[in-house]
Amino acid sequence: MLRSIVRKLLELLLFILLLSFISFCLLKLLPGDPVRSILRVDDVAVSNVQIEAMRTELGLNESLIVQYGIWLRQMLQLNLGDSYITSRPVITEFIEKLPYTLMLTLGSLLVMLIIAIPFGTLSAIYANRWIDKLSRLFSLLGSAMPSFWLGLLLIQLFAVKLQILPPMGEGSILHLIIPSLTLGIAMSAVYVRMIRASLIESAGQDFVASARARGIHPIRLFIFHTFRHSLVPLVTILSESIGSLLGGTVVIEVLFAYPGLGQWVVNAITARDYPVIQGYTLLMSCFVISINMAVEVSYRWINPQIARRGKLKS
Amino acid sequence: MIRFVKKTSLLPLLALLVLVACSTQEKATPNATTPTESKHITLLFNVQSNTIDPHTDTNYTAVRAGIAETLVKIDNDLKLQPAIAESWTSEDGQHWTFKIRDDLTFHNGESVDAAAVQDSLEHAQKQNPSVKNALHIRELKSDGQQLTITTDQPFPELPSYLVHPNTAIIAEASTSQAPIGTGPFLLTSFSPGSELNVARYAHYWGGAVKLDTATMVFNEDANARHLAIQASSAHIIFRPPIESMEQLSADSSITLDSLTSLRTHQLLYNMNNSDLQKEEVRRAFDALIDRNSITSSMMSGQATAAAGPFLAEAPFSPAYTKKTFDPEAARQSFQAAGYELENGMISSAGKPLAFTLLTYQSRAELPLIAQLLQANASELGIQLDIRQVDNIDEYLAINDDWDMALYSMITAPRGDASYFLNAAYTPEGALNYGGYQEPELTSIITKLNRTIVEEDRYALAKEAVSYIDEHYLNSFIIHPNNVVVISKQVKNWVTSKSEYYFLTKDLDIE
Repeated sequence: MLRSIVRKLLELLLFILLLSFISFCLLKLLPGDPVRSILRVDDVAVSNVQIEAMRTELGLNESLIVQYGIWLRQMLQLNLGDSYITSRPVITEFIEKLPYTLMLTLGSLLVMLIIAIPFGTLSAIYANRWIDKLSRLFSLLGSAMPSFWLGLLLIQLFAVKLQILPPMGEGSILHLIIPSLTLGIAMSAVYVRMIRASLIESAGQDFVASARARGIHPIRLFIFHTFRHSLVPLVTILSESIGSLLGGTVVIEVLFAYPGLGQWVVNAITARDYPVIQGYTLLMSCFVISINMAVEVSYRWINPQIARRGKLKS
Repeated sequence: MIRFVKKTSLLPLLALLVLVACSTQEKATPNATTPTESKHITLLFNVQSNTIDPHTDTNYTAVRAGIAETLVKIDNDLKLQPAIAESWTSEDGQHWTFKIRDDLTFHNGESVDAAAVQDSLEHAQKQNPSVKNALHIRELKSDGQQLTITTDQPFPELPSYLVHPNTAIIAEASTSQAPIGTGPFLLTSFSPGSELNVARYAHYWGGAVKLDTATMVFNEDANARHLAIQASSAHIIFRPPIESMEQLSADSSITLDSLTSLRTHQLLYNMNNSDLQKEEVRRAFDALIDRNSITSSMMSGQATAAAGPFLAEAPFSPAYTKKTFDPEAARQSFQAAGYELENGMISSAGKPLAFTLLTYQSRAELPLIAQLLQANASELGIQLDIRQVDNIDEYLAINDDWDMALYSMITAPRGDASYFLNAAYTPEGALNYGGYQEPELTSIITKLNRTIVEEDRYALAKEAVSYIDEHYLNSFIIHPNNVVVISKQVKNWVTSKSEYYFLTKDLDIE
């Protein structure tokens, strides 16, 4: 067991190292120069000599491997460096933004689950009936509607017409409602169809027929057999959605003046703020890997067959 | 029938969101402040700020929000005005003496003397390489309220550079997320990328501050800003969507303030192109720019036609030559440059002239201006291949495969012409993308850089700009307006041309 954990951790470290190197190379291959942003050439008179001197000072004229080596050495000392633009530690800026992104992720997942589970379940139970048709229409509209437009409609409704929610900003739970609704509605459009399809497939399994034959109460049968079995593909997709939400939702953050990670990293990319981009990539990859590991563990609970298969193999 | 009703009963609910949201309704009376409540204003700005450290923030939030102040300010006539420094002198442009006001205190109660100013300027230079590069400071000395600055070369534009918000004066106890300034408002909270809150500073040196509190929200979406003022969640918004102008003008509860900005949209010519090296060719392209159509149609009247790099009323602007859209004059200029004219079409050795024109999308009107120029040029048989790039500055700095480029910049951000002239026309200037090597112009700029007396500087700047104007080194197209929407409840709002000052001591609300 211990050996397995150590092996897994080593694999993870290697993966993160490889990812950081690839992202570093890709960043450096991109055209662009952070020095022009640092020296604000569009605001104060700067000469090309000064630009070159700053480039040398930052080590940007060194070879790619040397630059990566410097970054890696810093990283191993748990130092992700300072932002070129704000001169603040990358980790500090990341920690400032993370809670907002986590709250928005939770809020939108909650909205998604509140909409998708009842709608998807009812669509599966009453397949091809009016509720199913309605949910299809909802899915179609939800998938087709751009999230910024949905966001604007929700602002118009709740902030302009009804004046019950703030249109933007942060500071209270009320500020989180419209952005969460915008993201949650867009996500639930996809999940409603997925839950429906997964439940219908699970309902056709032999173990469900067998359980029914054993006289298990229909509600118990649905919750502990059909629904539980249908969760495997859903949890897989959900982990991808969480990863994507944690990565930041730029459009929503811009629209609602919400201080998440998405716009932070987009601004960094625009300014070629290498320490921020590298730090973000590294930290987010750790997050995504953790989520994937948690999902793997959850499979064993959702579907005991997976756990048994694992034991048999070992 | 009942089943049909059941089937369709939820459909209207689905449509409700769209219908209600799209319906028109009498605008509610702004309710953010009532006479019994404290005086509070919410302002929406269109650029996000991730830090509030005045020394590094590219959005200048601390100065805009009235938290921190600079030694020198700039007014709407582009003239320098005393701020933290009540006066300044220099005999040679290299040794400067600034007299610091003696009635100043930081928000933490500490009094402001020259030593505190020195600490702050040293911190700014340490934190921000662009400040260090721009100020050219060799030595700082303080004695009581007297600050002595020695620059590493004669630097007459030093006071102008000290207008820059990145040189704002803050107390030593400041942190990057909690600056302690001297302005009319003190910071109460800051959420990076989202908003900040300020409260009145009771001991402001400039006199009584009228507002109690204010919030500044950063939102980059024009439609969302428009909705916020409709929702009465904001009292002042910057840059509403251009398509909403008509609706906003008709709204009696708000005022639309449109002021010509210091920004200039321009056409750069690449001097490595042999055709564009000819002054007549550049003159011809200038005559193909329909500035009136651009201001009236594309910009919905929210722009002023530009004849030169600086606003015509700037003290360093000469009397520009008149620029008119005249395809016939363009034909004549091409002919004068030695090109053939046949059936109204221009060609060179029997082949049509072709150029690559760069543009970019972050200023939505620029691609449209490119298309208009392309259409006008095609009337003369000239091909313009429009290419859109993501980051125009980076592209122009690295590549040379372009002939013309639409570009936009603030040409005189601090009331001095030397920044633009040095950056864009000296051979070493970081914005000299066209590769201009004009010895006569360089010599005027060099002389300007050594001249201290203001009137003489204006005269030299005029001379340099006249040279650019007469030789059509660039074509200057429009000065877009800064549009601000203000609730009628707000009193004493002044739209700052420099966009450095938003929340002031006089700003008030009914």
